[in-house]
Order: sequence, then C-alpha cells, then structure tokens
Amino acid sequence: MDVILAAVGDAFTWQALLAIVIGTWAGIIIGGLPGLGSVVGLTIFLPFTFGMDVITSMALLIGVYCGSVYGGSITAILINTPGTPQSAATTFDGYPMTQQGRVDEALGWATFASFFGGVLSCVLLIFCAPQLAKFAVNFGSIEVFALVCLAMLCIVGISRGSLLKGLVCGMMGFFFSTVGSDPITGADRFTFGTYALSSGLDLIPVVVGAFALSEVFVRFSARNEEATIIPEARLRFPGLSEIGRRLIELVRGSFIGSFVGALPGTGAAAAAFISYAAAQKLSPRRANLGKGEPDGIIASESSNNAVTGSAFIPTLALGIPGDVVTAMMMGAMVIHGITPGVRLMADQAQTVYALFVVLIIVNVAMLILSKPSIGLFRYLFKLPLGFVMGGIVMFSFIGAVSVRGNPLDLVVAALTGILAYVLRRGGYPLAPLVIGMVLGPALESSLRRGLLISRGDFLSFFTHSGIATTLFVLIGLFLVWTVAAGILDWRAKIAARRQPAESAARSATTPEGGP
Amino acid sequence: MFASLIHPRVLTALALLVAGAGLSITAWQGPESAMLVPRIVLTIWCVMALAILVGELIRQAPRQPKASPRGARSPLPLLMAAVLVAAVATASLGFLIPALPLVALTLWLFRIRRPLPLVLGTIVIGGGLWFLFHHVLMIRLPALLTSGLV
Repeated sequence: MDVILAAVGDAFTWQALLAIVIGTWAGIIIGGLPGLGSVVGLTIFLPFTFGMDVITSMALLIGVYCGSVYGGSITAILINTPGTPQSAATTFDGYPMTQQGRVDEALGWATFASFFGGVLSCVLLIFCAPQLAKFAVNFGSIEVFALVCLAMLCIVGISRGSLLKGLVCGMMGFFFSTVGSDPITGADRFTFGTYALSSGLDLIPVVVGAFALSEVFVRFSARNEEATIIPEARLRFPGLSEIGRRLIELVRGSFIGSFVGALPGTGAAAAAFISYAAAQKLSPRRANLGKGEPDGIIASESSNNAVTGSAFIPTLALGIPGDVVTAMMMGAMVIHGITPGVRLMADQAQTVYALFVVLIIVNVAMLILSKPSIGLFRYLFKLPLGFVMGGIVMFSFIGAVSVRGNPLDLVVAALTGILAYVLRRGGYPLAPLVIGMVLGPALESSLRRGLLISRGDFLSFFTHSGIATTLFVLIGLFLVWTVAAGILDWRAKIAARRQPAESAARSATTPEGGP
Repeated sequence: MFASLIHPRVLTALALLVAGAGLSITAWQGPESAMLVPRIVLTIWCVMALAILVGELIRQAPRQPKASPRGARSPLPLLMAAVLVAAVATASLGFLIPALPLVALTLWLFRIRRPLPLVLGTIVIGGGLWFLFHHVLMIRLPALLTSGLV
C-alpha cells in the first residue's frame, strides 16, 4: 500500500501533470492529422524527454501515445479520413453518423468510449498484469493464427451487399503485406528487382493513400455538391441512461482491446477490427452496424484505446514490445534507467505503479482536453475547402514519408490513393483492404511458424491446444451463423418482394367496392 | 456486349483479374516456401475477381455515365497525375520543391484563385509545414542537398 501511495505522489507532481496535459493535447492534434500518428508523435517528443526525470518523461510520451490513438477518430468521423490506422474501423459508423447530421453524438461516443477503454485497461493492468502476461504466453503461433483468422472474418461483416468485392479488397491488402522480404526465409517477394521494395510496404502510406488522398479525389470530383461541405465539429457526451444501455458494448470492446493488446505483435488496429467483428455478432443493434450505429464506434474506440494500457503488459512484464510504438516507449524507459522484464515489478515497483497512475490521469486528461481539441478542428475545417484539402495532401505526404524516410512510400501512397478512388467509384469497400494489410503479416507468420512446429500438418492446428480448438470452433460458429443469417435475409427479401406483387394481384381480382 | 465491356465497373473488375493473374504467375514462379501464402491469397483474389467480372457482365446493360456540364472534362486526372509526379520527384528533388507546386495546384483546382490567398496558402501550407517538420521538429524529410537544408 505504501508503494502505491508513494507512486501516486510521484505521478501527481506539477511537472508530470504539465507533461500529461502537453503530451495528451499534442497527441490528440497529431493523431487527428491524416498520416501523422503515434510513431511520428513519439519521434517528435522523444528528444525533449532526455533532460526530464523518469516519471515526467514517461508521462509526456504516454500522453502523446494515448492522445494520438484517440485523436485519429476525430477526422475519421468528420471527413471519413482516419488520422491513424487504429481508427480505420471508426469510419464504418462514424462517417455515416456525420452524414446523418449526428456528428456531435458520434464524437461524444468516440471520446467517451476511448476514455472508458483506456481507464478499464489501466485497472486491468494494475490488478491482472501478471496473470494476463502468463495467459498471453500460452498464445503460440497456432493460437495467434486462429485468433487472426477470427478477426479476418470481420471482412465478411463489413462487406454487406458486396461480399465478393470486400473479399477481393481484403486479399489485395493481404497481398500488399506480403511484398518485400519473406519473414521466415528472407527471400524477396514481388520486389521486381527494386531494392527499395525489399523492406516491404508500410501500413501508413497505404492507409494515407486509401483514405486521405482518395478522399481528396472524391471531394474534388464532387466539389460542386453540398455533400462536400464539412460539418461543424461539435461534441455531445452521452447521458447516463445512454451509457447504461450500451454498457455491455463498452465493457466488451474494452476487454477485447485489453486482451489483444497483451499479445505481442497485434496492436490497436487489429484490436479495433476484432472488436468490431465481435459487435457484428453480439450487439443487439447489429443490424444497424455500418449505417451509423454508435455501437460500431464504441467497439472500435473502446478497444483501440484499451490497447494503450494493456500493450504495456508484455513490454513491462516480459520485456517484449508488442509493436513499433511500445518498442519506442521501451527504448525511452531504458534511456531513463528502467529495464523492462520479469524482474521489473520486484526491483522498481514504485516506478511501475507510478506509470499505471499516469495512464489513468492521461485518460482523464484526454476526456477533458477533447472539447478544446475538437474546437480547434472546428476552426480548421471552417477554412475554405481548398485550404483544408491542400493541408490534407501536405500532411499525407509528410505522414507517408516520415515513418521510414523512404521516398518510395510517397509513391505507394499516391498509387494507393488513385487505386482507392477507382475502387470506391466501382463500389468496392476500402476497409477490407486495410484489414488485410493490418492482419496479413500476423496471419502469415503465425501460419508459417505453426506449419514448421507441426511439421507441415495443418490438421493438427485444430487439436493443438484447448485455446486453439476453442477459437477454431468459434470460427466455425461464425461461418455457420453468417451463412444462416444470409439465407434468412435472402428469404425475407424474397417474401417482401412477393407480398406487394400478391396484394397487387389480389386487388386487381377484387371487384371495385367489394370487401 | 461490347458496349457493356467498356463500362468502368467491368473495366475495374477486368483490371483486377488481369493484375491478380499477372501477380499469380510471379508467385507460382517463386520459391515454394516463401510464396505459399501469396499463392493462396492471389488464387482467392483471382477467383473473386472472376466472379465479380461475370456478375458485372450479366447485369443489365449499364447506363452511360452522366456527361459533364458543357461537355467539359473533369480536371481530376490532372490532380491525380500531379500527386503521382510530386511523389516520384521527391526522391530526386527533395520534399520541398515538388510539394510547393502540388499545393499550389491543389488550391487552384479547389478554386482558391485570387493571387494573394493562393500564394500565401502555398507558402504557409507547403513551405510552412515543411519548415515546421524538417527544421523545427527535426522529422527529416527527403532533401535535395546532402546537408539537408532544402
């Protein structure tokens, strides 16, 4: 108890609180700008931390990280352009709500769900970090393969009405993720002799092209229409009764995010898609998902922000960074004398608890700072459309090239933008392309490693462990459910079509004035 | 039949099928272990693209796309080409030099045509953001000079 109180004291210094406010606010703004995300935010702020003490420096970086994950949802909702890949799933319902004139409600749910997911994962981190770390270790290649397969199935859900087109886009995204060196053998794939392609295609240029640049093209082609007007950004938090009605969705999304974040190599974008897939099957309002349903925003935002807390579980408890962002955070910890690993809780318990407290304060700060941040975006989007679009093009270029410093990433972004525009015009959903690209590497590496472990016997995947069997059974149930729901929908449509025809035929045979 | 073949939706599906088939050839020629997953992915891609193409062809004859007013061509391909050219030129000219005309063209096409807002917008959005990220925040963008100044 003394350790926790001392940790609270460490976190509540004015320097740490100031760092949280600056970091979180800057993170929200950076996250909201298309192309710039957590990695760019951390790169900007990392050098500033060298002169700070441990807690203040980590407070600044955690603020930037959490703020940027939330900030991506603002532009996802307002202009259908996710600021970060983690918020790609927020566009599914966020933008339709904006088109329906419910922008305040959408931003309110995104903000509250982000706060809820972030805080719940912090609480889980405090009480269950060792247990979750132990459970996460049980997830070997085959279990991760089954989990990612389950997440891939959300392509089926978000491609309603154009399943084939959704699947082809999903495969396209998956193919993009296979370009470059093979993760197992190191052989070059689809590089066509170009050395710059050996490092593969990065996710950010593809997301920037698919969403930000294609949105500029779409708005340009429709610049004479009223639909291109960006609505005024306003924020209305949900009432207690509304929160009560959707509490299960909030808790489910947060738990999924907390769990997925604890698995190394998955990340917030994957968590958001997995959570959205779960909402498609379990939400009582699932029929409205994709048409402007707050449950979709809740699923995406609560889970991606829950990852920000639980991503620290493998990092702190095992010394394994889950993704680029946590690797950067781990680097910052090492610079400041914290050595993540199994001995950390025993050797530096006070510092670790102080980080947990900082995480909770950051989420509260995010809730408070959401209003002024959205206010800033309101003023930005009040500018003439040309300036907004010029800014999006410029930020897209900076975001695409800044992650790896590879000019080829700009060409990838430009080509993806043109391709995405053509696909959008043809009625192809773009979200599966991002899902394929996000989940593809994890799916491929886990499948290949699993095949090596099982000596090429794929059937043994199904009986490898209890977790794997459970996940494969869930996949089977999901498929059966989807097929059954499809058949029922089809029969209902046929019946609905027949009914007016039959009643028309009946009224034609009934004499005028008859019963 | 021929008229329906040149419809954009059919052409898109056809292009996807051709691209998928071309990439499949590369995948089947590559090493078996490394190309295992790409082969599966590209096979699904081709099957789906073929199904979409057949679906688009057997649909009722599509309507002709709406003619633009006064018969004018949309300058969208110009914007797309400008984005692509700027992206390609960045590798050799650095970030700033291709970015400035691209921003100016974007503003112009989005009807910011008065000289002062156009010039100011180009300088602030193009030059200002480049200066902020490259020189102030030290996020190194591709440069023309080896010193990284421009």
